[in-house]
Formats: sequence, C-alpha cells, structure tokens
Amino acid sequence: MENKKISLGDRYAEITVILITVIALIVGWVYKSGVENSSVPFNVEGIRAQAPKGWLQSEPAGDEILRTTDRTSSGFNTTYVLRKIPLAANTSAAQVASLLTLGHGQDLLAFRVLDQREVTVYGKAAYEISYVYVESNPNLTHKNIPSIVRGADYIYVNDNNAVVVSFWADEKSYDLNLARFHIFLQSISY
Amino acid sequence: MTELKAVYERKHVWRNEFLLIISLIVFVGVVYVLDGALKPVFTTSTLILTGILLALVPSAIWLVFFYLQDRLEPEPKGYILGVFALGALLAAAIGVPLIENVFRVSHWIYTNTLATILGGILVVGFTQEFLKYAAVRYSIYHSDEFDEATDGVIYATAAGLGYATVLNIQFVISNGGVDLGAGVIRMAVVALAQASFSGITGYFLGRAKFESEQIWWMPLGITLAAIFNGLFNWLRGLVAQTNISLSGASVSPWPGLALASIVAFGTTAAVLWLVRRNLNSVQAGK
Repeated sequence: MENKKISLGDRYAEITVILITVIALIVGWVYKSGVENSSVPFNVEGIRAQAPKGWLQSEPAGDEILRTTDRTSSGFNTTYVLRKIPLAANTSAAQVASLLTLGHGQDLLAFRVLDQREVTVYGKAAYEISYVYVESNPNLTHKNIPSIVRGADYIYVNDNNAVVVSFWADEKSYDLNLARFHIFLQSISY
Repeated sequence: MTELKAVYERKHVWRNEFLLIISLIVFVGVVYVLDGALKPVFTTSTLILTGILLALVPSAIWLVFFYLQDRLEPEPKGYILGVFALGALLAAAIGVPLIENVFRVSHWIYTNTLATILGGILVVGFTQEFLKYAAVRYSIYHSDEFDEATDGVIYATAAGLGYATVLNIQFVISNGGVDLGAGVIRMAVVALAQASFSGITGYFLGRAKFESEQIWWMPLGITLAAIFNGLFNWLRGLVAQTNISLSGASVSPWPGLALASIVAFGTTAAVLWLVRRNLNSVQAGK
C-alpha cells in the first residue's frame, strides 16, 4: 500500500475524530460513575445511610436492618448488610468481633480470617475483620461451581449497641467493588 | 452497446445479491432446525469451533454482498480481507476488553433506559465505530486502491464485519452454545448492523478523501454511526417479552430482535442508496 502525503485538512479531521471519541468516552465514564454510585436514602432505627440505587433490597431478618444485593454482579452477587446488635454494658468492639468470627466459623463454609484490627473509618473508631469463605448451593443437584467470597465486617460500638456493616463480594471482583462500598461506608451515621 | 452491457452487469449483480440473501436465509434455517432437532451439547473445543463457524458464515455472506456494491472498480480481495482481519483484531485486542473490562458496561448499562441509550452511544457506540474507522483510516485510506468515495463504504463494511465476527464468537462462547437457533438469527442481524453502521463512517470517510469537506464532517460521521449503534443495542434489549407458564418463566428475544433488525436493514438500505448515488454520479461524470 503506497501512502500519499497527508493534507493538513486530513490531519485536522483525524485529530477531531480522536478528540470527539475521547470526549465521548470521558463523558461515558463520568456517566457510568454517576449510575454506579447513585444512591437512595435509608433511615431505620436511628441508623442513616445512602444505599446503592437499583440494588435488590431483601426483607431484613433477625438483627439485620438492611440487606442489599447487586443482581448484575458476576459470580457471587455483591452484598451489603447492616446490623444493629444490642450489647451488654462495657462490651468492646474486639469482643463483638470475636463473637462474629465464631458465628461465621459455624455458618460459613471454609471460613478463614485474613486480618483483623482496630481502624478509624472516616473519623469513626471501628474494628475491621477481613475474611474469606466458600459459597455453595446446598442443593446437591445444583450444577454451579461454588464461589469464593471475600468479606469484610466493620464493627462500630455506640452506647449499648454495635452497628456491624458487612461487605461480601466474589473474590474476583472484590477489589473492583471496594470503592463503591467505601462510599456506602462513608454515608453511614447513627 | 455500452448501455446494454451496463444493464446486463446490473442484472448479474442483482441476481448475485439475491442468491446471497437466499443462502443466508438457508444457512440460518438449517442451523435453526438442526439446533431444535439435535439439541447439541458441546465440549470447550467444539464450542469454540462452532462459534467461529456460526460467526464467520453470516459475516462472509454480508462481506460478499457489500463487496458486490462496488461495480465500477472492484477492490483487491486481499485488501478487503486484510481490513476485515484488522477489524477483528482491533475488536479482540481493544474493543471487547475496553467495553467489558474497563467500562464494565454489563454492570450498569441496563440500570435504566437512559443508561442503556447513553451508555450504548457514548461507550459502546463510539468505541466500536472509532475502532472500525481506525481499521480503514490507518491502513488502506492513503493507498492508491482507495480511489473513489464508494471505497470508503466497501472497506469500512469489511472492518465492521470483522468486528462483528469477534462479537459473535464471543456471544456463542459466553452463552455456552445454548439456543443456537435464535442465536444464529441474532448473529446474522448483528453482522449486518455492524457492517451498515461502519458503512455510514465509510461514506463520510470516502467523501472526506475526495471532496473538501469541513472539519466537522468526519466527527459527524462517527457520531451518527455511534448513535445508530447505541439505538440498535437499546432496541435489541427493549422488548424482552416475558412468558410465564407452569414450567417457569422465559424471556423471548424475538420482539427486540425484530425492532433491531428494522434499524439494521433501514441503515443498510440508506448506505446502499448512498453507494448507488455515488456510483451514478461517477458514471454520469464519465
């Protein structure tokens, strides 16, 4: 293929096409972020948060006050859970963490704690537990391969209650979903 | 004598175009019937092979169909195949990873109608149409073979069909070979749609090379193609009819596919009309 000299008009047209494509993609990215981060206000039992818009909110059970799931996420559906647990006087966040860890160990398959420590989350003292487990359908005829799920619990102690915020996501998409979870975490007030 | 020859050639081309469309309908029909009768189960390798075969046949038929449109001076087949391969490579190396992994469109594009239309135009449309434009603009555009405005449409549709082939292979593999009967119709329509949208870009590209167009001319072409691309994707998923029976619920893709087909065939008709108008003006000039 023999190439001829490119005219100035051609060059300008080429640059304009690249520019308009880049602009379209930047606007698309901003719009995508807006859609992904859009939220709906949530206020139950004195706990306020901005729950992700468009996620499926399940009927809370037990001490749960919010359970919201992203049905579009691949593998294990990304889930946020908010719990309010009544505490005896002088119970520390570390003690709540031990109880939660014991509970997870009993309820979850192949549960392993990856890390646990005291942290400050957006100015609030909290206790963080990072863990991993396997989510498997108990139905033996189910043909899906079990998912490896990574989870994190943030425990806040407030008067005689513990507010526990849990984040579960498929191991493959955990890091990608973390930024969205931090927006949710930041929005929580009690 | 020359006029008689032109009439003969035109009839010859129309007959070939007619035969190509019939062969596509026969292919789609055979796959539809075989899938219904045999209910095939695939291993990984047979699935990939089936995907490649089912994606290539409609693309090849449309490729010949658009190739026949250039009646004055047919382009070298090697160049056409080269641009087709380049379109496929750009789709596999940049288009699909950018749309699926970076923009993760499947996670947010179906949240609401506005997201489907805007995401379809700004992200999917512009990415696909720019890459198909690039496959022509940075390969054949400055060669001596690109010597008439119609060549823009011919080469751009080849790039579009290369792109569509990769999308269709990806569709078969990600679906695990399920419901190939409906799938093959979708693949034929997607191939035509991708070809016709890039045909719009190709028309603008051809005019840009041979006529002194304004600076906004080429961006307008890409934008129009991206808008049609976005609308096609929106319509394809728009009317998903839900059927509920005792055996469970199922979603019918047919109404959406029918609407999307109208867009694909309408765009193709417009592109073919532009090509014929170009050819007529060239012949009148001669």
